[in-house]
Amino acid sequence: MTQTEQLLKRLPNDIGGTSADPISVVDHELEPWERRCHALADVLDFHKIINTEEKRRGVEALGTELVGKLSYYERWIACFANILFQKGILTPEELALKMKEVESRWDDFDKESTQAARS
Amino acid sequence: MAHEENGHDHDHDHSHAEIGQTERPGYYDNLETVVRELLVSKGYFGPDEIRRQIEVLDSRTPALGAMVVARAWADDAFRKRLLDDGRAACEELGITFYDQTGLIVLENTDKVHNLIVCTLCSCYPRPVLGLPPDWYKLKPYRARAVSEPRKVLAEFGTIIPDDVEIRVSDSTAMVRFLVLPKRPEGTEDFDEVQLAAIVTRDTMIGVVEASKDIRRGE
Repeated sequence: MTQTEQLLKRLPNDIGGTSADPISVVDHELEPWERRCHALADVLDFHKIINTEEKRRGVEALGTELVGKLSYYERWIACFANILFQKGILTPEELALKMKEVESRWDDFDKESTQAARS
Repeated sequence: MAHEENGHDHDHDHSHAEIGQTERPGYYDNLETVVRELLVSKGYFGPDEIRRQIEVLDSRTPALGAMVVARAWADDAFRKRLLDDGRAACEELGITFYDQTGLIVLENTDKVHNLIVCTLCSCYPRPVLGLPPDWYKLKPYRARAVSEPRKVLAEFGTIIPDDVEIRVSDSTAMVRFLVLPKRPEGTEDFDEVQLAAIVTRDTMIGVVEASKDIRRGE
């Protein structure tokens, strides 16, 4: 199979039965935001906003390159944003504005900690 | 999550998950905050629901699955009900399923060894085992468990004799699996608490066999 044929026939998640490296028995304690992201996924499912199948398809729709480069929960939150755009629940503009606001909270935090360090 | 909010009233719009954080969160961390706060402000769900679900997730550990396995080993009638309807039997023991997933329990015997996987992503019996370990979600396990399970098991140090059939079950969004490991020899005198103590997460995924000398760490 040529490389593009492989990409066409197998979506990024469809890896069952393919060859891969030896198992490395790795694990990590979830970061607080990863735990929130998991809970968010569950709550989105409970409210029938995004279900598990939509999430899997949403991750696949990120494309092979992003799926390969993002971590597990980075893929989830990226696909949630995209699906919410597609459903008309959020707009990219709202998200960009809110992102500015959320990032700016840390400007104050940085100032406070600089002042605290000086006093 | 000891530093999550404690349910007290507050009038500022910072999530308490951020308090205690000493450096700027990364882009994806902020993206979670952005998506969550926008959905809350639009009324899709309440501000407390994520925190409550984190508590639910934190309450799920392999100790629950171990309790189910120990009961099945000790009580043959329960074992039959468990194999017949995994979810109903777990609910009998007070384990609630916070989602819509079904549970099929697969019994290991002298002739059959079961292994569970989710080739497409990471479906897992979360209500009874908690969240899956990273290796379960990564490519090598997902790709190879279905095509060369004996080799994969050997990498976990588990050698299954050639005359024992290996069955691999691939989880879906709606149907999850749990392995009922073989009760090890030498545990005839164990009570249920002692039995539960030797049931580890990995025995219930099927990558290792239960042993009377290996105890579950939490």
